[in-house]
Amino acid sequence: MKSAILKITLMVGMVLFGMSSMLMAQTEEYTLDGMTFGMPEAEVYTEDYTGSPVVGEYVTQLPNLAPLDYEGNKHHEVRIDIIVQEIEVAEGVRYQAWTFGGTVPGPVLHVKEGDRITFVMKNRSDEEVTITEPNKGGSPFMNQVAENPYQKNSSAIMPMPHSMDFHAGTVAKDDKWRTIGPGETIKFDWVANYAGSYIYHCGTPSVLMHTAMGQHGMVVVSPKDGYPTDYEVDREYVVVQSEYYLTKGAGDLYTYDYEAASNNNPSHVVFNGHQTVLHDQPLKANAGERVRLHFSNNGPSGTSSFHVIGAIFDRVWLEGHPFNEMRGMQTVLLGASNSATIDFIVPEEGKYILVDHEFVDAEKGATGTLKAGPRKK
Amino acid sequence: MMRSLRNISALAALMIFVMTAFIPEIVFSQTARVLVPAGSFHSILPEVEGEPIVVDSFYMDETAVTNEEFLDFLKANPEWRRSEIPPIFTNNGYLKEWKSDMEPGYEKLGENRPVTRVSWYAANAYCADRDGRLPTLNEWEYSAQLLEFNTEAEMNKFSSGLINWYSGIDVNNLAEVGSTGIETTTGVKDQFGLVMEWVEDFKPIIADELSLDCGTVGRMNTLGSVYSYAASIRYITRMSFNAKITTGMVGFRCAYDEPAPSSQNQNGVSL
Repeated sequence: MKSAILKITLMVGMVLFGMSSMLMAQTEEYTLDGMTFGMPEAEVYTEDYTGSPVVGEYVTQLPNLAPLDYEGNKHHEVRIDIIVQEIEVAEGVRYQAWTFGGTVPGPVLHVKEGDRITFVMKNRSDEEVTITEPNKGGSPFMNQVAENPYQKNSSAIMPMPHSMDFHAGTVAKDDKWRTIGPGETIKFDWVANYAGSYIYHCGTPSVLMHTAMGQHGMVVVSPKDGYPTDYEVDREYVVVQSEYYLTKGAGDLYTYDYEAASNNNPSHVVFNGHQTVLHDQPLKANAGERVRLHFSNNGPSGTSSFHVIGAIFDRVWLEGHPFNEMRGMQTVLLGASNSATIDFIVPEEGKYILVDHEFVDAEKGATGTLKAGPRKK
Repeated sequence: MMRSLRNISALAALMIFVMTAFIPEIVFSQTARVLVPAGSFHSILPEVEGEPIVVDSFYMDETAVTNEEFLDFLKANPEWRRSEIPPIFTNNGYLKEWKSDMEPGYEKLGENRPVTRVSWYAANAYCADRDGRLPTLNEWEYSAQLLEFNTEAEMNKFSSGLINWYSGIDVNNLAEVGSTGIETTTGVKDQFGLVMEWVEDFKPIIADELSLDCGTVGRMNTLGSVYSYAASIRYITRMSFNAKITTGMVGFRCAYDEPAPSSQNQNGVSL
C-alpha cells in the first residue's frame, strides 16, 4: 500500500516536473550583447490585495526622480495598480481618468541599465481606491501625492480591461503586455536592457482611448556608466507632455471626446498632467546651475517641439541614450512616445518658460516655468 | 451599419405587422418580452465568414433585470444569495453593494435600477429560472443596432456619444431601467446608455484568435463607421471578462425562444 502511494506520488511529481520544464523551455533566459532576454511567462491570477496601489522604493510623483543610491544592479519589486480617479486637469475641468497608480501621467519609475524588475499590477478599476491619504508600505510616490495632490484626486469606478506596455522592456507583448479584466492581477519580469527614458502605457484597444483617458507614464533607465556631465548636474526633473481630449459631460464632469481624439484636436495639451501645475509649482534652480530634464512626449497623438525660453540645450541625448548626443539645440522635436534627456545651463536669475514651440499646443496649456534664484557658487 | 439598417428596414416594416399580432401575448406581470423578428446584420468581428449574420427571431426582455426582480429570484433560489453562492461561480464582488443577502438597500441602489455586480453564472441561473437564457452575442448585437436614424450624421453623432459613454459609465448613479429614451425599432429599451450586459457567448471562440493590441480597433472597423468603432470597444471590453467577474457596469437581460406564457399560466408559475 505504502509503495503504491509512493509510486503514484512519484508519477504525479514526474508529470508536474515534465509540464514545468515544457513551460520553461519557451522562456529560457539568455544573454546577447551583454543584455538579458527570455523572461519567464507572465502570471495572471486573482488576489485579495487592498494595500497601497503603488509600491517600490524608486517610484515617485512627477517632476521628482528618485536618486539611485545603490552600486551595480538591483532587482526591483514594483507594483502599479490600475485605478480610476476623478482628477482636475485644468481649473474647473475634472474627469474620471483611467490611471496607473492614480495620477495622470502615472508614477515615474527610476532604474539602472541592467536592472531587473518584477512588476505586479492589479486591475482595480472596479474598486474605489483613495490615494490622497498617507498609507503604509507604499512608494515615495504615495507620500508625495498625499502631500501634494495637485490633480485633486478623488476615487471613482469604471471597470474596464487594461494592460501595461513598458517601452523600456523587451518581451513578447502577447504574454507580458496582455489585457487583464477588472479584479485580475498580472505579474511579469523584465530587464531594463537599454539606457534612456521610456514611456509606458495601456495597450488595450482602443489604445487611443485608453492612453488619452490617462494611462501613460515614464520609466527613466539611467545608463550604467552615466552621462558625461553627471558630475556637473545640480537639479534633475522629469517632465511629461501629453494631450487630453475632453468635452463637457451631462453633469459637472468632463468626458472623453471621441471626435476630438479622432481629429487630433486636443482640448488640453499639458505638462505633468495639469494645465497650470508647472506655473503654480515652478521648477526651481539658481543662476549658473546645470539643470537636467528627462522629457517625454507621451502623446497619445501629437508631436512636441520642446524649447526653454531663454536657454539653449547644452546637451541633448535623444531617447536618453548616452550615445545619441547632440549639442547646442534650441528645440527638440519629439514624436509621440519619443523622449530626450536634456542639460541646460541657467544663465541668470529670473523666469524661464518651458514650452511646446508648436504654439497651438502651448496655448492649450503646454507651458511651464522654471524659476531661477541668484547665483550661489 | 446604415446599409444593414436599410436591408433590415423592409423586413422590419413587414415584421411590425406580424408583431402587432403578437402584442396581446406580451405579458407585463414581469418584465415585458419583446419579439425581435428574424433578420441579419454585419458583425464587426474581422474574421467572421459568411456575412451578413442571420439571426432567427427570438424574444427579449424589454428592459434589463432590476434589483427588485433579482431579489425575487433570490427568494426562491437561496443558493444564489451572496452568502451562499459557491466561489466557483463568482469572484468576491458579487452583489457587493447590497446591504445584506436579502436587502439591496433601495435608498442607495433603487428598486428599478438594473442589478449589477452579478457574475455570468448568476445571470444564467436567473434566466434559466425564468425559462429563458441569456441572449447570444449575435442576438444582442443584432437587436442593439435596430435603431432608427434619419441621416448618417445623426447616427455618427449618436455613436460618438456612445464611445464617450463607454469612457465613463457612472456606476454610482445608474438610472432606472427604461429611462434612457434609447429604444430599438422593435421596442427593446436601454441596450445603450444604462449598463453593459452579459451575453451567452461573451467570449466567442474568435476571441482567442484576436490579439488585443493597438491594431484591433482598426481591424474591427469593418463597417467603416463610428458605430463600428463604438461596437469594437464594446466587443473588446466584453471579451476581456471572465464568467466570474462582477462589476458595477455590467447587468443583463434574458432572451427566450417562446413568447411569454399567457397571464393565467404566468400567475401559476411565478412567485
